[in-house]
Amino acid sequence: MAQGSGVRRHARLFGLYFSQYAKARLEYRADFFSAVIASFLGTAASFAFLLIVFSRVPAVRGWKFEEMVFLYGFSLIPVGIFNVFSWNLWMFADRYLIEGRFDRVLLRPVSSVFQVLFESFRLESIESIVTGIVAVLWASRRLRLSFDFGDVLLFTIWATAGGVIYIAIFLGLTATSFWIEDRIGISPPVFNLMQFGRYPLTIYDAWVRFALSFVIPFAFASFYPTARFLHRIEFGKEFWAVPLVAAISLSIALALWKSGVARYHSTGS
Amino acid sequence: MNAIAVRPAMSFARIGFLNMLAYRARYYVGVLTYLFNVAVYYFIWRAVFRHSPTVVGMTLPQMITYVAVGWTIRSFYFNEIDRDIAGQVQEGRLAMNLIRPVNFQTVMVFDAAGQSAFRAALFTLPIGIVIALLFPVQPPASIAALLMFLVSAVVSFFLVAALNFLVGLIAIRTKSILGILRAKYLVLEVLSGLIIPTTLFPQPFRSILFASPFPHINYTPAALYLGKVTGAEAGRLLFLQAAWTVLLLGLGQIVWRRSQHRITIQGG
Repeated sequence: MAQGSGVRRHARLFGLYFSQYAKARLEYRADFFSAVIASFLGTAASFAFLLIVFSRVPAVRGWKFEEMVFLYGFSLIPVGIFNVFSWNLWMFADRYLIEGRFDRVLLRPVSSVFQVLFESFRLESIESIVTGIVAVLWASRRLRLSFDFGDVLLFTIWATAGGVIYIAIFLGLTATSFWIEDRIGISPPVFNLMQFGRYPLTIYDAWVRFALSFVIPFAFASFYPTARFLHRIEFGKEFWAVPLVAAISLSIALALWKSGVARYHSTGS
Repeated sequence: MNAIAVRPAMSFARIGFLNMLAYRARYYVGVLTYLFNVAVYYFIWRAVFRHSPTVVGMTLPQMITYVAVGWTIRSFYFNEIDRDIAGQVQEGRLAMNLIRPVNFQTVMVFDAAGQSAFRAALFTLPIGIVIALLFPVQPPASIAALLMFLVSAVVSFFLVAALNFLVGLIAIRTKSILGILRAKYLVLEVLSGLIIPTTLFPQPFRSILFASPFPHINYTPAALYLGKVTGAEAGRLLFLQAAWTVLLLGLGQIVWRRSQHRITIQGG
């Protein structure tokens, strides 16, 4: 009984957290829209490299410009999902462990991961999801790709699984804050590695490809999910493994979090 | 600046220096971050050059050097004056700076200078050496190129400091300070020439960029290092870089004087 109603209760709580946050955020409408524009400028800037550099060359390692736009555009969707939900993780060590807010979290009868993840959102990052979809649609038209209902469904599930992989990786890294006491933690360099997964995996050396697939599985969040849509049958196996990798990553992250919480002792006073 | 202003400025530089020493764990994380950034662009450029021997007049080794030099000096000129101002406003610490008998901009810039001087020795230099060992980086084009590059890199610091001071003052007028600062960070990486050599931009963007201060942050020092610009052209770029820096520092003073009247101090 506890399991079923627990899930439903958390789903309801999630809805409440989200609508509450959105209401507060939209109260300052002009400010919210300027945040969306700022976020879009950031997305555009990171896209600029691809557009400027790769529009000059016909193909890179058999990847056409439009295919790379598809890949990069696709990657913006899980990155957007990740940014919307994981905003709080960046401040976890500082706000929760060092300032001591985590005590309050532990006192409530709701899972601590749940509270930390969903206490605040980065709503403006929805812009990244929209930009990604626009880029994918543009590239699909140019490449004359056709999507039936099944493809759209797969696309949606795979993009979401990609978002789960990103969230799981950074949740796991954030959990190390229970052991490593520092405001910033070890996430920043890994965050920079995210860019690796947004370009065709084939441009890298074998050891980089291995690391991106099996050590920090960024390739499963952005590169492999596009393989089927771009008709790269050589990555078929990895494509179907995406939801599995998402589930495994999340389990590892949650286990790490759990043992971190068990180790937690308050900052005191 | 007169001699009386220099002494307190040096003290603030010293304090900035000591503050950085306090966070050692971040050091290794920082080094790794820079290595990964260079690695990403190394692989991408290698793939691009497979199809053409030169891109905007640069060979692959030159492009790798451009990337390596860019990220290395970024570890030096980078500062968080904007974030710092935002934090002071949010936490109500700005009042302290209003009652100090030292100019606020001077305090902020020299505090950052202390941190950058520290990083130059203990962060930038090791990063540069590790990058040079791991990637095929070329030496500077000549002794003159090296000297001009070093001067230009130092000016870059002041240029970034002037820009960040301005951005910080503008951002505190809005409620989404952190969003604006994050966007600035990503936009500047592109406009400064750090990620894309400015000469690679299609027209008319290239001309517009070269009429702005941004390429002088990263393109100018990196191009000087590579010997892509020499002689009179090098002198012209160095002059423009310095002129923009002075102009933006002056603009910062004006905006600061104006915003002083608008600031409401939070807290009791």
